[in-house]
Amino acid sequence: MSGYDVHRGENPRIIFFFWIVMAATVTLVLGLGWRQLIAAQKYEEIEKRQTERRILKPGPRGDIYDRKGNLLVGNRAHYSAVVYLDDLRREFRAEYSKIIRAERAALKEAYQLKPLEEREDSQLTPDYNELQWVARQNVIQRYIDQINLITGRDDTVSTRAIIRHFNEQLLLPLPLVSDLKPDEYARLIEQVPVQSPIQIHTDTARYYPYGVAAAHTLGYVQNVNPDPDAIPSGGIKTYTFKTKIGKTGLENSFDNLLSGETGTEIWRVDPLGFQDSLLDGVTPKQGENLITSIDIDLQIAAETALGERTGAAIALDVRTGEVLAIASHPSYDLNGLSPYIPRKTFGEINDRGAWLNRTLQLSYPPGSTFKLLTSIAGMRHGTITLQTEHDCQGVFRIGNRIYHCHARYGHRVVDQAAAIEGSCNIFYYAEGLRMGIDVISAEAERFGFAERTGIEVPYETGRLVVPSKEWKRERVGDGWVPGDTANTSIGQGFLLVTPLQMATFIASIARDETRTQPTLRALSYAKGQQVNHGGEPVGLTRKQRAELWEGMERVVGDGGTGRLVQIDGLRIAGKTGTADFRAHGKEVNLAWFVGFAPVENPQIAVAVMVEGTSSLDSYHGGSTAGPVAKDIFLEFIEQYPERAGFKVAR
Amino acid sequence: MAKLRLDRIKPLVALGAFLFAWWIIPTTLKSFLEASFSEFQAPAWVATSYLDDLENFWARRSHSKVELIEAGREVARAKSLYQFNSQRKETLENEIQRLEAILNLPSRREFRYEVARVVRRDLNAWWQQIVIRKGKDFDIPVGAAVVFSGGVVGRVVEVSAFTSRVELVTSPNFRMAANFEGDVRPVVYQGLPQSGFGDPLGTVRDAPQDVIASTQIPLKLVSTRLGGTFPPGLMVGRVSWLEPGNTGIFQAGEVELDARLLSLHEVAVLIPLYPIDLENDVP
Repeated sequence: MSGYDVHRGENPRIIFFFWIVMAATVTLVLGLGWRQLIAAQKYEEIEKRQTERRILKPGPRGDIYDRKGNLLVGNRAHYSAVVYLDDLRREFRAEYSKIIRAERAALKEAYQLKPLEEREDSQLTPDYNELQWVARQNVIQRYIDQINLITGRDDTVSTRAIIRHFNEQLLLPLPLVSDLKPDEYARLIEQVPVQSPIQIHTDTARYYPYGVAAAHTLGYVQNVNPDPDAIPSGGIKTYTFKTKIGKTGLENSFDNLLSGETGTEIWRVDPLGFQDSLLDGVTPKQGENLITSIDIDLQIAAETALGERTGAAIALDVRTGEVLAIASHPSYDLNGLSPYIPRKTFGEINDRGAWLNRTLQLSYPPGSTFKLLTSIAGMRHGTITLQTEHDCQGVFRIGNRIYHCHARYGHRVVDQAAAIEGSCNIFYYAEGLRMGIDVISAEAERFGFAERTGIEVPYETGRLVVPSKEWKRERVGDGWVPGDTANTSIGQGFLLVTPLQMATFIASIARDETRTQPTLRALSYAKGQQVNHGGEPVGLTRKQRAELWEGMERVVGDGGTGRLVQIDGLRIAGKTGTADFRAHGKEVNLAWFVGFAPVENPQIAVAVMVEGTSSLDSYHGGSTAGPVAKDIFLEFIEQYPERAGFKVAR
Repeated sequence: MAKLRLDRIKPLVALGAFLFAWWIIPTTLKSFLEASFSEFQAPAWVATSYLDDLENFWARRSHSKVELIEAGREVARAKSLYQFNSQRKETLENEIQRLEAILNLPSRREFRYEVARVVRRDLNAWWQQIVIRKGKDFDIPVGAAVVFSGGVVGRVVEVSAFTSRVELVTSPNFRMAANFEGDVRPVVYQGLPQSGFGDPLGTVRDAPQDVIASTQIPLKLVSTRLGGTFPPGLMVGRVSWLEPGNTGIFQAGEVELDARLLSLHEVAVLIPLYPIDLENDVP
């Protein structure tokens, strides 16, 4: 029996300490149990936060195709040379030691050269922090020099960029050289040893095989840092590669569809934050593809026909409202904006005014093309009949003011069809005044001129003006005068519409309805059959419609203002227009042509607007906009001969 | 207890001392020693190679006259075919030069061919390097392309006085830019650790998404001039399948290389005639 056994039941001090030890042991065991069993999850989370890092890798964007499957927007390889800083740590240390030694020696030498009274001990201590960054910069620059030697470039790295990368993107590779050309990429692949810390990184950049074609409609993308909170991380620190978001056009409207699925990588890191091992990963996925209604052949025809002029051209499928071509000039090469927009390119496009999408971002007076609406309003209101005629002497007096017809000596006696054919202002002045502005305004609103078309392209202008008495009182502050009605009835005055609206208007007339819902998405045959444009029948009798269409067909006839649009074998109904417009700080001409074909079974509706940029430009609807429309019709025949009514040998 | 006998551990001590010395001597000295050792070995390898050739020569002497005459005829036929091809090539080269001059295109790199016998396959590099029987004596430069009748063999990584070491296309340390036949977009080829059985393999990555490979119609991977080392169009291998890589868009796959790479006897080194001019040359 030991001494302790003798006293354990009796000695109160031992009993006291026994219970203290017991209580402490129980507390420890309970504490351990609590931490291991109950609070384990919390500690796991803390451990994860401290040792794990997440990298988000955005997925590539989907492709955009035309209706025939031609690639309009795709992804091309974007090469860069990168380095993971983790791989350079030994070199950083070696360089740092070398620099410190040199710096100390230099400081010592400078110190000894100073008079005794100016010497201070602090003068012998180098700035360690600064030297650390210098060492890192030296090492990284050495690798860049190696790349420069192979590629013939002259790139450098700044300390600021390195500090920013260390602080914000440590786990991601540091780009040494970006946007390598294919030959530079190939040289680096062959001449940089496989074991080198330099890695050739392949990313994607948007690629536009047709360059300027439909640039405003397709749009471009911008590189942004994605929102790391979009994918819950459980508190793990997240690093992200840049992603691309649609900035304009379809890239913007269909951003959700085109955006890829973000991939993730979970890395274990060491206490300094450098990567240690890959724990988990999900591969990014490419976004969905978009098939547009655009026909690239028609698009190129429209772009080529517009040439260097400023303007817009649109072709719609009459039945479905699908946009077959939509061109706005001046334009820009989308490839110049990928992978980023250089400042110089931005400025150059800006100076040319090419950022603006003239098909839907700017509104213009429609000129004489609006006479078709005045005709419809008059016929529905009963003021224009099949017998209505006016004697055009070239001038028309309203109050004290003389209004002119564009035919100086007049058109003589004209009925409605002849007035459309010759674009007689006098006929429409007289008829406009007879029916009044309320009727014209109501009809214009019925055809949707006061509303945006709702096409899937952002930034469609809301500056659309269908003038009325109330509108003038509110906006201008003046009362309505008969001259305003006369101007409106020929598409001048306060009236403002977009070229896209004019395209939907002419497509609506071709279908004998009041609305056309344009769309840039390709519709299947079944869907195309069920399109509801949301309008109503125009409300003309068969004879009235026949007279309207006859006038429009005569426009493209031998004596019409749009005779240059004539195509053998294709019956085209159209209307020309020439408007005066104040733009670029001066009065300029606007040339319009709207039309559809074939008359017997309308398939394609075209609207063309060419904008003068100088007061010296003498543009006319028939001679300037007409030939552009003709080229589009010709390409339509080429691409869709059967729909254009041409027999095809099988 | 047995007495510790110092003489027994002497070799271990010597080995330890040697390893320690090797560890502490400067890298420059190490490289010099390695190079010297290689130069010292080279004559023996070259001599062995010549003996092999002699052995082959005597083995061929045992063939009958009829067989030799037939072989001679074959050689004559092959020679006439090569002469014809050579003339055709010369005509085409002239035509290319004429077109380049008209179109004001930058000049292409021109190469001189140096045919060399393979001395041995280097065991130290897991048989992924070969030693050829020409070196500085024939102005072989480091980095030069090495080819054979089946396409790319590799790249010269080390040049000695009479021999050169070539990193084979099968080596994981070999990487080159390539493209699929008929497609100008560059991709990356890299060798794979070889299993030791079957045909040699490599990998290809950064293949564009629209490139489709199948076992029925394998794609030909050929060299591109973009990298500057190889002339365009030399066969690298065939690709039977491609799958999406970790970028989510570019594809990666396996490249089946020519089985003859495992038993090379003779190769040609392509020596650039002029140093590359980064501004004006098409690499």
